[in-house]
Amino acid sequence: MDYPSKFDVIVVGGGHAGTEAALASARAGAATLLVTQSIETLGQMSCNPAIGGIGKSHLVKEIDALGGVMAQAADMAGIHFRVLNSRKGPAVRATRAQSDRQLYRQAIRRFIENQENLQLFQQSVDDLIVEGDQVRGVVTSGGVCFRAASVVLTVGTFLGGIIHVGMQKQPGGRAGDAPSNRLSERLREMPFTVDRLKTGTPPRIDGRTVNYKGLEAQPGDDPRPVMSYLGSRQDHPEQVNCFITHTSAQTHEIIRNGLDRSPLFTGEIDGVGPRYCPSIEDKVVRFADKDSHQIFIEPEGLNSYELYPNGISTSLPFDVQIELVRSIKGFENADITRPGYAIEYDYFEPRDLKSSLETRFIEGLYFAGQINGTTGYEEAAAQGLLAGINAARRSKDLESWCPGRNEAYIGVLVDDLITMGTKEPYRMFTSRAEYRLVLRQDNADRRLTPAGRELGIVNDQRWQRFTEKSELIDKRKDFLNSQWVQPGDDIESYLGQSLNHEYSLSELLRRPKVSVESLLTAVAIDWPDSEVNEQIEIDLKYEGYIKRQLEEVEKINGQHGVIIPESFDYALVGGLSNEVQQKLTTIRPETIGQASRISGVTPAAISLLLIYLKKNSQLRSRQTG
Amino acid sequence: MAADKLKSDFPTADTIAAVATPSGRGGVGVIRVSGPDVTAIAEQIIGGLPPVRKAVYKNFLDKTEIIVDQGLAIFFKAPNSFTGEDVLELQGHGGPVVMDMLLTTVLDAGARQARPGEFSERAFLNDKIDLSQAEAIADLIDSSSQHAARGAMRSLQGEFSNIVKELDNSVVELRMYVEAAIDFPEEEIDFLSDDNLVKKLQETKSVFVRLIQQTKEGALLREGVTLVLAGKPNAGKSSLMNQLSGRQSSIVTAIEGTTRDLVNEHIQIDGIPLNLIDTAGLRAAADEVEEEGVRRALAAVESAEGVLLLIDLAMGDWRQQTLSMLAELPKLESTKVIVVLNKKDLVSAEDDNSGDFPYPLVRISAKNGEGIDELRISIKNTFGMGISEEGVFIARTRHLEALLTAQAHLLDGILQLQENLAGDLLAEELRLCHQKLCEITGEFSSDDLLGEIFSSFCIGK
Repeated sequence: MDYPSKFDVIVVGGGHAGTEAALASARAGAATLLVTQSIETLGQMSCNPAIGGIGKSHLVKEIDALGGVMAQAADMAGIHFRVLNSRKGPAVRATRAQSDRQLYRQAIRRFIENQENLQLFQQSVDDLIVEGDQVRGVVTSGGVCFRAASVVLTVGTFLGGIIHVGMQKQPGGRAGDAPSNRLSERLREMPFTVDRLKTGTPPRIDGRTVNYKGLEAQPGDDPRPVMSYLGSRQDHPEQVNCFITHTSAQTHEIIRNGLDRSPLFTGEIDGVGPRYCPSIEDKVVRFADKDSHQIFIEPEGLNSYELYPNGISTSLPFDVQIELVRSIKGFENADITRPGYAIEYDYFEPRDLKSSLETRFIEGLYFAGQINGTTGYEEAAAQGLLAGINAARRSKDLESWCPGRNEAYIGVLVDDLITMGTKEPYRMFTSRAEYRLVLRQDNADRRLTPAGRELGIVNDQRWQRFTEKSELIDKRKDFLNSQWVQPGDDIESYLGQSLNHEYSLSELLRRPKVSVESLLTAVAIDWPDSEVNEQIEIDLKYEGYIKRQLEEVEKINGQHGVIIPESFDYALVGGLSNEVQQKLTTIRPETIGQASRISGVTPAAISLLLIYLKKNSQLRSRQTG
Repeated sequence: MAADKLKSDFPTADTIAAVATPSGRGGVGVIRVSGPDVTAIAEQIIGGLPPVRKAVYKNFLDKTEIIVDQGLAIFFKAPNSFTGEDVLELQGHGGPVVMDMLLTTVLDAGARQARPGEFSERAFLNDKIDLSQAEAIADLIDSSSQHAARGAMRSLQGEFSNIVKELDNSVVELRMYVEAAIDFPEEEIDFLSDDNLVKKLQETKSVFVRLIQQTKEGALLREGVTLVLAGKPNAGKSSLMNQLSGRQSSIVTAIEGTTRDLVNEHIQIDGIPLNLIDTAGLRAAADEVEEEGVRRALAAVESAEGVLLLIDLAMGDWRQQTLSMLAELPKLESTKVIVVLNKKDLVSAEDDNSGDFPYPLVRISAKNGEGIDELRISIKNTFGMGISEEGVFIARTRHLEALLTAQAHLLDGILQLQENLAGDLLAEELRLCHQKLCEITGEFSSDDLLGEIFSSFCIGK
């Protein structure tokens, strides 16, 4: 049957990509439908119970700055907060929140249910309605046809999902959930390039059977960080400890003895797994000289006794899993509540996407999340948000939007995916960002909230908080610039540094080893909002570097912004080598900048392209008078 | 509309410089500087911009106010210049050494060395050159960048290349360590409190100092036209090599090449510097060592500017031999070939039907020296002097610029670590240092770096 009303945007999937996509689309004013296999599992954390981490909290804060909900949900569900890299400099500082799965799901569901323009429907999607090269809607397993101008697919690991435990394998999208095989078959008929990836999870442990005596406790940080720009510590539920234990030589022996029944080593799994998140059997084989590996014991939630032993992801047979778990200190008598498993799934070559995350082959069809070869809740949510924004904009005939590599980790993520593609599940790292000093988690709001406001996805409350904060930063900076101290002032003894002439307070703050707190104490100023003070300190201390990075941006942006027409024929450009021609034709860069980042495309090739474009557009403009 | 967009999209934010006159020992050499920083550069080198389109006589000063050269400076104001941007021309005494120093001074003052054809490219993009010239400019960029690439490739042989690679490895190792500590803080790699890191940074610094000194002295980069002597075993390659070099009193070096099977001689013919590389015989290899020899010989042919193809007249039909040899050689589109027919003393009066042959042809006897003078003349006519030397010259200036900038970033990084314990800034300086080195050694992506990290550290929860 045809559903009686029509939507602007349909989002398929209710994971981290799907929920942010649906919310962003609805915030942008599009009539949005979210179709999911199960409303109960909206916002489900399928793998480790944590949000954030290096490179990832950067994404979370950017999503937050654009009005997304992941950060707020993490504040409402976070039961253990830490700041990582606190001593390695503000650019690489990150926040992580161990999260109660149930509280997290509840928070996400509340956001969804309170969002205007957003409707929910539970049923799996079996087919897409495609007319010509245009998507028109979806068909559910119950035969309901929903029509919309744009469709966002966020189907995670559900496409052709196969779960492996030892030599046993069964279809599944996540332990306990059916895969979306119909849809997978349907998509395989379309001109997309499909490949397989693999990921895995560890067995879960019954916490009541763990002996904590002698295990190293890892408390959360004090002062406790907050994830959302709108959040506060009052949002946080009760806090608990994590623990650390280690594998032993005996564990490794057990693993080696079980390798003949490991689907990873018997060739049963052909999907490529992530190098940075190897299974324990992989670690034992590849780093044979290490006789112990760290395991982080993470609580699954306040109302659950289950534990997530982070570091022993495995697809070994269940009997080996029991033995290996029990060889670990503290787990001698532990019971497993859910076996660990590996999952193989389809993903689509992300180089077939535009920077809006719309597919190049079917208009109005957007892909976000693991379907694009990424891994991680944060990476998925970031793509979901972007796809949601652009699907909504498309339904209103507005130009698509994507931040640049110099503006956001979201920009780095999308540009990497559509330019280089990926061979393993793609995860964000700060080392992927060449403008890392500019793209900090502390300034995501200043980088993106104004753009979000213009896109219509930042509400009044957030906008007001943002403008107040910005004004406060400016005001306090002006003050520091206008206050001068003299040699001989008391401040010398406070700072433990002597002055040889007069200095403004902001000049003093630029000095190494002078922190904003010590300076404020020295001049007896009591400024609340440590977040604002921290911004001022970072701005001043990093001024030179930030200026240099911004100059670099400016330098390349002129030519890099030149748009290459969508159906450009590279064969017409003389002097391009076959290899370069082929690469450009496959990847179809949208701009000269993107083209220049393709490996093997030389400056000379870029010059030839520019000259050709220049010559040609001149001819075209003459024809049109 | 599209055209307007293109035009307004070309604010060239950086300033380029290059030697504008052909290299050689001419009387006057011109260095052209174009871009937004011309004013600042003029300020530093000649104490300020001269009046527009007026030649003024000036001292050219380097950073330390030492006079590098004296000559005329002319300023062309945008858009009334060759490129459509602000352009400054410095006319000094010609000759590679002076031009080299003056260009280095300009680069020091903030310009970037222009890529081949880049002035014309800017002129075209700024509507200073007629659209009908598009093809010609594209061709110029294409051919000159190929030429520059060959120059760079040649400059990357031997000792220079070895040290740069060593340096590159050190920097990759440093970055790997620092980036792993940043991206995987729970893996117990803490660089901020690690003495080894400081030691490694200092070691890398001293390799930089040594390499830059040697590069400045020109000790590591070969100059001149490189010719490969190729032919079947026993065709007489070594005898010819001896003939060409032996009668010259001007052998500069006679060093064993970088490999056991490539012999490299530096000779001059009427003042033209030539690198002569004798290759292992090209034939089906009998063992692994020989196979490697053949592989290197083929590689040498690929990077050389010319090939002397030696054919043994005693082995029968020389046309047949030549064609089959040419088929075995790598693509020779831009490599010039002279076919040398050896052992004319062993064959009786042969057919002389060689007029229609597509390559210059010389008959010699390497044994008794007959025909060697004709061969010299042929070499001189075919390869001459000129841009080939410029290839290596430009490569050297470019490498030096890259090395100096890379070194400066390394020093800043060490400072950030020691003064401020700023890990993210150390990482940034190492990234910039590595980026500069990659201009010499080739692309290296952030994904390559992650690959290094994952293969060296056991990462992952």
